Parts: sequence; structure tokens; C-alpha cells
Amino acid sequence: MIEIDNVTFRYKTTDAAGNPRIVGGVSHLTLTVAPGEFVVLAGDSGCGKTTVTRLINGLVPHYYPGELEGSVRVAGIDAAKAGIGELAAHVGSVFQNPRSQFFNVDTTSELAFASENRCMEPDAIRESIRRVAREMDIEALLDRSIFALSGGEKQKIACASVAVAGPEIIVLDEPSSNLDAEGIKELEKTLALWKSEGKIVVIAEHRLYYLAKLADRLIRMKDGEIVEEIGRDRLRSMTEEEAYARGLRSLREVGLPERRTGNNTEAHDADRDFLICRNLSFRYKHSDHGIDFPELHFRRGAVTAIVGRNGAGKSTFARVLCGLERRAKGQVFFDGREWPRKKRAELCYSIMQDVNHQLFTDSVLEEVLLSMPERKGVSEKEREKAAREMLGRLDLLPLADTHPMALSGGQKQRVAIASGVVSGSPVLLFDEPTSGLDLSHMRQVGELLKLLREEGRTVLVITHDIELVREAADEVVRFD
Amino acid sequence: MENRLNTKDLISIGVFTALYFVIVFLMAFIGYVPLLMVIMPALCALVGAIPFMLFLTRVKKFGMVTIMGTLLGLITFLLGRPWLSILFGICAGLLADLFLKTADYASVKKSRLGCGIFSLWIVGMALPMFFGYRDAYLESLRPGYGDAYVEAITRYTPAWMFWVLIATIFVGGLIGAFVGSAILKKHFVKAGMA
Amino acid sequence: MQFFRNGNEGYRSVLDPRTKLLWLVVINVVILGTGFTGVDFILRIVSAAIPFILFFLIRRPRTALLYGAVCAVMLFTEGVVIPSTKGIVNMIVVMAVGPFSRILVGYAFAFYMMCSTTVSEFVTAMRKMRVPDAVTIPLSVMFRFFPTLAEEGGAIRDAMRLRGIGIGGKRGGILRQLEYVIVPLMMSALRIGDELSAASLTKGLNAGRPRTHICRVKMELWDWALVLLGTGFLVYMLVIR
Repeated sequence: MIEIDNVTFRYKTTDAAGNPRIVGGVSHLTLTVAPGEFVVLAGDSGCGKTTVTRLINGLVPHYYPGELEGSVRVAGIDAAKAGIGELAAHVGSVFQNPRSQFFNVDTTSELAFASENRCMEPDAIRESIRRVAREMDIEALLDRSIFALSGGEKQKIACASVAVAGPEIIVLDEPSSNLDAEGIKELEKTLALWKSEGKIVVIAEHRLYYLAKLADRLIRMKDGEIVEEIGRDRLRSMTEEEAYARGLRSLREVGLPERRTGNNTEAHDADRDFLICRNLSFRYKHSDHGIDFPELHFRRGAVTAIVGRNGAGKSTFARVLCGLERRAKGQVFFDGREWPRKKRAELCYSIMQDVNHQLFTDSVLEEVLLSMPERKGVSEKEREKAAREMLGRLDLLPLADTHPMALSGGQKQRVAIASGVVSGSPVLLFDEPTSGLDLSHMRQVGELLKLLREEGRTVLVITHDIELVREAADEVVRFD
Repeated sequence: MENRLNTKDLISIGVFTALYFVIVFLMAFIGYVPLLMVIMPALCALVGAIPFMLFLTRVKKFGMVTIMGTLLGLITFLLGRPWLSILFGICAGLLADLFLKTADYASVKKSRLGCGIFSLWIVGMALPMFFGYRDAYLESLRPGYGDAYVEAITRYTPAWMFWVLIATIFVGGLIGAFVGSAILKKHFVKAGMA
Repeated sequence: MQFFRNGNEGYRSVLDPRTKLLWLVVINVVILGTGFTGVDFILRIVSAAIPFILFFLIRRPRTALLYGAVCAVMLFTEGVVIPSTKGIVNMIVVMAVGPFSRILVGYAFAFYMMCSTTVSEFVTAMRKMRVPDAVTIPLSVMFRFFPTLAEEGGAIRDAMRLRGIGIGGKRGGILRQLEYVIVPLMMSALRIGDELSAASLTKGLNAGRPRTHICRVKMELWDWALVLLGTGFLVYMLVIR
């Protein structure tokens, strides 16, 4: 049983000048979750749904400090008074980022971790691990290095490690952000198992299609308040238009739209209408993973979506195309000439999934200037003017002097895009640009892709997000 | 504020020790050039000081720096260096901790000096040639290597070299501390992360 | 970069980590402090032989043979070549092999330890030695963070290459490039560290509270024999000599 009664919470942080700052959490929130209930929290980024999960597992107010009013009772415990440790016996948590939620380096230790901290008998823990491994079909993942697992496997271990300790309440914070369709299916199975065991599940999520069948209730939030509660029957019958009108992602699985695939056309090396890849092949050392594509065409000046399950080589293809893999073989043609590997960084600019790695300087303007090629006869002033113009086009001008790391995820992504555009690369490649984005931000990315197309760039988008494909892609290439 | 180290503090120590070690290790790897060998320890102290200054913004309690020193000494030992490096790690950490405590970990000036003091754990890595250790070590060489070698080594590494080594490492750490606080101001304060 | 093994797929360590730690100390003391005659020589040979045998036991025969060959060359040089040469030749040979032979055995044993011990075995052994949480928790985090930093570093290096600002690239001096590497790495470490703390707390990690562990670490007959031998060496080196 979870009882959140008239709770208001504001995060206490500091701004760039070191002054204390109060930022939104939730206000006057009342929510009761009965035993066995499956509740989905939805809404735009920053709507307060993550804060609700933190109220339940105690991270708010014990880890993220701030002002708390009202009362939170979780499994009969006063959550504001009890520490996180006391709540941990009743609440299990799964987080968004599979890279940062493991304390151990091997899977079995991680599965045992929560139970070890509760001082359970080693033999009982081993028995529990065996049972969970059987139920969740992860026997093959035991005793492995966490760092050798795929994103989907990591998230499965995260779920299993919660299950081994056997709490009656489980909260999940955007667990599908980094998963592909197959990973989401596995997650759905796990959630169904928990539901059948009568656990309370509270999940904050943007992608909703996999939850529609499981949820007893969907709670839509905005600016820290609950604006709508949608019951089970209404959820099952809700159409896509109705969901979009509420700012929610689709509640049904979206099928891949019928689009031309670039590869049906004939093209010769000097053809200026295409980016042509011929006999691209690459194998990772000590593994049978790699790619081998005899022939790929991408239409110039169009947005092409690259889809396919994990492990089909989408990201490897991106690395090879950008010239990051030294041992890769094959040829790339664009604009009527061949681009050798070392030149390809100039041909193709890639915006990575974790855009944090791509930002190096101490202001947005510097970041764009860093990518701008230096030409003879172009003064500093003119360069800066061009950079500011670019920032203006992407709504970043007011942020020109801000540190890139102080921006929101979407803003960071736009800074990376601005750098890519001014670098003059004719091809822009996006790796999962909408992972973890809500409907409005996903659409914003879609608009950006179209804008780049209008500018005459050739855009390739690697994505699992079929809603984005439908929104913005001209062509679709499928890797299998 | 509670004075005991809590779980979050301990995790911070682990994170920053790893970061510090990786950065120093990379420096030692990139700079593995014979000519640079003499100032290598100082260079290591210099680059290590950058993450260390960031670490100090997270330290508010006594003991965190000591633990970091202990861990650095321990991994140096685990990599096959003399066991005395653990002792150096503990001592350098403890001294820096005591020094920083006098300003309650709040003064930037003292942080820089404290960073210089902490850098001295690196002395443990370059150890077998120096200190009281040196004479016993050289004596043990005599039957195997002959008198000529031992005398040559004695000539090339006189006792005062030990103090020179300490001084260069300290200066390296101090310069690094200035670089580190400049980077903190330029990036982390501006981004609201420190 | 990785310290110790992460997983232990179908693998069982032969020795207890505590035995290995003791022998790391023993080898340290023996190799740095002994000469070439009498008992000293025997101690040296035995210490040098131990990593050789252990490499076979963890099924790394190639490492063992390579190490054995280098060791033999060293021994030959130290025992035969150095005493029989004079003057400048002697100096060069000594300078070349001297420091190397001193550290070789220690490094070899350290390497054996890294590739025969899992992180959880090592940490469990530390806890059994009653090392306090204030050391074991940061130590676990540290081991867990080395591979993470390697991943982050790889991603940063790729991003730099894509923008043509890599080490040795055209833009900026060496200091600038160092900044481009270190700052994003520190930013990543801060972010991942914060999330890791939060996740660990929700799993009930609480410094100073008792915990159990499922990792089996136990001193066997072989361990006791080696501990006895090692202690004997130490007593000889530190007390008798």
C-alpha cells in the first residue's frame, strides 16, 4: 500500500553563481496505490513523474534534498522519517540508465546484492537467485561480466536483482529508454510476471504501448500535478489521436510505415543522387559480431531511417561510415567521388546517442566555433556571426554563453546538431536521437530532421522509434 | 551535519580514486619517454591534481582524503610495487587531511597546498632507489652486481636526490592544483556541477 | 582497463586471495632484498618459480613459458654474465637488466593475481580480514569504475576524432587537448557516480551495517602450506638476517 497525501516537494540546488535555487518537483499531490495495483505515470519531461517514484523509494527527500510537505506512507512506514535503507526492504527500484545502476561487476553478485545488504542467509540467497533465474529465463546470464552484456540484458539483470530480494513494491523510472523493441518485449514479460505475483508496480514512462495491456491505471501529470486518471478499460480503447491530444505517446504498437527503400534503385559509383556504400565489412576482434553489406544506397537530400533489431549492426555501420574503424573494408561514394576512410569524418558528422560525450567547451558559442572550419580571409568576427546565426536557427541564441553541460538533454542535442551543421559535413547521422523523449520532444526532433533536409543535408537516422520514422523519414532501410 | 562518513561519501571516494588513478596511469603511459622519466612523477602529480581538486569540492568530512591515499597505495602495491607504497599513501593522505581540516575543507588556498601534500603519495612509487631503504638495497646488490655498479648507483643517486624528488612532486602537485581550480571555475562552476 | 576478473564463467580460483596477498608481500621483500649466494639464492629461485607454476595452474601455459624464459635469461645474466664482464660492458648490461630483473617477479605475481581473482572474491576476502567498510566500499566502487571509465574514455575519443580535435589532431595545443579529454571524463564520472550512489542506496547498501556475502572464499590445504612457507621466508628476511 502506498499513500501519498497532499505532498509538495521542491528540489534545492545551486545555480551557476552558487546561489541556492528551488526547482519544481510535485505540488499538492495525492495518490493511493492499493496492493496488487499496476500504475503508470506519464507526462512530459519535468512533469514530476520521476519525483513520484523517488518519493516511494525514499531518494526524495533523503538523497535529493529539498523541502517536503505532506505525508508519504509506504508499506506502513513514514517514508519522510525512515531512511532509504529501511524502505529498501519493501521497495525495489529499476532506473533508466543501465550503465550506472550496478554496484558489482558480475551479474550473480549484483543479483545477490540487495539480499546481502539485508543480511539474508547465503544459502537462501543462492536459492532465490536460482528461482528468479528460472522464472525470468536468465540462467545463461549468471556469472557473467556486467560489462559484456547488451543494454537489454543489463536491464533484465536490473529487474532480476530487484526480484531476488522479493520486495512487495517495485518502482521503475523510464526503464525502456535505452531498449530496442525486443528488449521492451522482455521487459513487458517481466512486468507481467510481477503483476501476476500481486506486487505493486509503479512505472514512470514515455513509451506506453507495451504497458497498455498491463496497466490498471494511467496517471497523467503536468507541472507537478495530476491532471487526469485514466482507468483500465479506457486505456485499452484509447486511439492514437486521443493519446496524442493528451501529449502522450501512442498506446498501441505502431507498425513500420510503408516507404520506399533506397536500396531498390540502381546506382553507379559516380551517381550524384546517392550516398553509396559498397562491400562494407567489418568484424570485431574476438567475436563474431560485425557487418557485411554488399551494397547500400541512401538518397541524397532525404531523411533515411535505419531500423532493425539490436545486433543487426546499425551502430557498427555508423562507426564504419564515419571512418572510426580502422580495419573496416569497403568503399563509400558521395557527390561523384570516393571518400577514403580518413576523409570520412569530414563527409559524415554523427550525433551520438549519449550526446554528453560530444560537448567539449565551456559555452554553447565556443562549441559551435570549435566545429567551424577555419578558412583564409574569414575573420574571427565573421565566424562568430555565422555561428550566432546558426544558433538562432536552432533556438539556442539566448543560451550562447551558457555551459553546454548546464543545458537540458534536448538543448544539448541541438548544440551537437548546430556543431554538425556548421562543420559543413554533407551527411548527418543520428544514433537513437529520441531515446527517452516524450511526445513533444520527439516531434521536435522530427522537425529538426526535416529542417536539415530543407538545408540540403543528407540525413541518416538509426532508430527504434517507429513513431519518429512515421513522423520524419522519407525512406526506410532495414538491417537484418 | 553528521561527521561519520556515509555510504554516499564512500562511493564518491571510490569514483574519484578510480578517476585519479586512471588519469595518472594514462599520463605515465603516454609520457613513457626516457628523457621524461626524471620529471615523470611530477607530471603524474600535475595531471592527478585536476580530478583531485574536483574531489575536494565533494569532501566535507575528515578521513575521505586519507582513504583515497590508502586506496592509491593499495593498488600500486597490487600492481607489484614495493609494499611501502601503501604506507606512503596512508601518510600523504593523512597529512593532507589534517591540513585541510584546519580550514574545514572550505578554503581554496589551503586546498591547493593540500593537493601538493597529497601528491607525495607518488613518492612511494619511485621508492626502491631512495630513503633508508636505499643502503640496504644497495648492499644486497653488491654480491650480485659487483662493487663498480653499486658505487655508480650511489654516485648517481645521492641522498639529496630523495629530497629533490619530493620537492619536484610537491611543486608538480601545486601547479596541477592551480590548473585544476582554473578548470573547476571554467567548467564545473559554470555548469552548476561544483 | 580492468582490475581483476569481472565474471567467473565456469572458473574456480585455485588459491584464496589472502594467500595471494601474503605472497605479493613475500615476493616484494625477497626479490628486492636478496643477493646471489647461499640461502638468499634459494629464496630467490623459489620465489621466482612460484608465479611460473601458478600460471600453469590457471591454464596460461604460454604466459608461464614466456615468463620462465625471461627469468632464465635474467638469472643467467645476473649470475654469469655480470661477474665475468668488466668496465663499460658490465655497466651497460647491469643498467639494462638490473632494474628489470628486480621488478619482473613482482609484476608477474601481480599479473597472476589480477587474472586469477574475481572482484567479488577479492572484496569478500578483504571483508573476512576485517578491513572496515570505509575501505571495502570505495574499493568495490573503484574496481567497478575502471571498466566504466574505459568505456566513457572510448566514447570521448571517438567523439574527438569525429570533430577532428583528437590527440595529435590539428586543433589546439597539447594542453587544450588534455582539457578536451579530462573534462568530459570528469563530467561523466560525476554523473555516473551520482546515479550509482542513488541506485546502491535503494538496494539497501548502508556503510557500517553488517552484511552477508554469497561469494565462497575459503582457505584450503594448499593455502595453509603456502602461507606457512611465505611466513617462513618473511621471518628469515626480516628477523634472522
